[in-house]
Amino acid sequence: MSGFVAVLRKDLRLELRSGESTIALVALSVLILIVLVFALDPVGGVRDASTAAGALWVALIFAGMIGSTRALLAERDNGCIRALILSPLDPGALYCAKLVAAFIFMAVAEAAAVVLMVLFFNLDFDARLLRLAPVIALGALGFSALATLLAAISGRIRAGDLLLPLLAVPMFVPALIAGVKASGAALAGANFGAMAQWLKILVAFDVLFLTTGYLLFEHVVGED
Amino acid sequence: MNKSLNLWLGALTALLMVAALYMVFVYVPTEADQGIVQRIFYFHVPCAWVAFAAFGLVAICGIFYLWLGQDIWDDLGYAAAESGMVFCTLVLVTGSIWAKPIWGAWWTWDSRLTTTLILWLLYGGYLMLRAMADDTPQVARFAAVVGIVAAVDVPVVVVSVRLWRTIHPAVLVTRQGGHGLEDPRMVATLLVAMAAFTAFFVWLLILRFATLRMRTRLVTMARELNLAHAAAGDF
Amino acid sequence: MDNFGYLFAAYTIIFAVIFLYVVFMWRRQARLETELRAMEARLKDVREELKSRAAPQSRSAQ
Repeated sequence: MSGFVAVLRKDLRLELRSGESTIALVALSVLILIVLVFALDPVGGVRDASTAAGALWVALIFAGMIGSTRALLAERDNGCIRALILSPLDPGALYCAKLVAAFIFMAVAEAAAVVLMVLFFNLDFDARLLRLAPVIALGALGFSALATLLAAISGRIRAGDLLLPLLAVPMFVPALIAGVKASGAALAGANFGAMAQWLKILVAFDVLFLTTGYLLFEHVVGED
Repeated sequence: MNKSLNLWLGALTALLMVAALYMVFVYVPTEADQGIVQRIFYFHVPCAWVAFAAFGLVAICGIFYLWLGQDIWDDLGYAAAESGMVFCTLVLVTGSIWAKPIWGAWWTWDSRLTTTLILWLLYGGYLMLRAMADDTPQVARFAAVVGIVAAVDVPVVVVSVRLWRTIHPAVLVTRQGGHGLEDPRMVATLLVAMAAFTAFFVWLLILRFATLRMRTRLVTMARELNLAHAAAGDF
Repeated sequence: MDNFGYLFAAYTIIFAVIFLYVVFMWRRQARLETELRAMEARLKDVREELKSRAAPQSRSAQ
């Protein structure tokens, strides 16, 4: 547990120090939203709740891929991965630290994206956003779990940054489907009961991939 | 690969395939609603079954590789992924060709075709990893992990896509083909076709596996050669 | 016999794709076999050379 906290604190401190790149990457997620507005040309208002939800999730995937790559970047560049493995740190704890770092990054980017989505798609800052938040959080958690594992692989092969989205996006599809549907419902004013089926899928996805990632991470960072 | 095994499997496959073809084109009656195009179904479904089964095999090989560390599991998994990809592609292509005359569109986002599309993408990712990381020493572990994660993903994909299509049914009516075969001759034809394609898959799998084993032997031999040179003080 | 073209296309593609895959495997196999034989020959040569180096007395005795 202490190992997890130590690695997480280190990552967050590093991230806070290099503040500009965080801002730049948040801006990138925002830009995606703008692109989608031009591409989809929504009328705005509640009628376009599902379009807004879709745009939000595209931004989420984008931020997620960048976030998870960066979470592992520092170690890779300095060869610190080897040091971490040799240390008594449990690989599962390392996985958790990395995924939480990625999650926090995604959460920050998504918060900005939600605000801008409300503005661009002509929605309202009201209670519906409170119901949207857990849906987005579940999606971000699932993507972090998946992408942290895959980024550990793609970070170690040449042209790996091409491979990460190639692997992560198809695997994320079920959460994407459920997340967009639930988000659209939340924005349209539905309550949690109405989205129950989608939420169940999101939760199942998260549990599944957190477990799988935790169990398999050691095979992906080891040297042989 | 053992020559006689190769021969026997090949012969069995050919026999079953000829039988299946006969049944599809001569024996089975034409379906009332869809006409003769419906006969695509008898090869389309077995391809789908093989594609999904092969995927499961990739994951199982991945688990055994991570657990036991023997190269043989890595080679088998790779062979299964390649062979599975061939059949998965065929599912999508035949499904598309079937859809066009029946529903007037090359692609329908019905739950089964969509799930197969995702499966195809997952296969593609696995094979791309293999292609791109081939020179990395840990490629076998990476592939094993990806295979396992993807297989874990498939059930969730099935559930979510099915729900997606129930709540918002496709504009085009969902294809009913698959269950609802009233004529026993149709069932028999389907079963024979299933057997034929399973045999075909096993044969292709073992052929590909044998080639990969040979390649692994080659790599091991090259390493031995280097060691021999090193022992002789050539470096 | 309407839509016969589609039926024909579907079955032709099935066999074409499988045929192409078999051809692909065949060629990989042939290439590997050549490499393997070359490798085996080299390995044999190296082993023999090592043996002859390790036992120079027997050579001079001849």
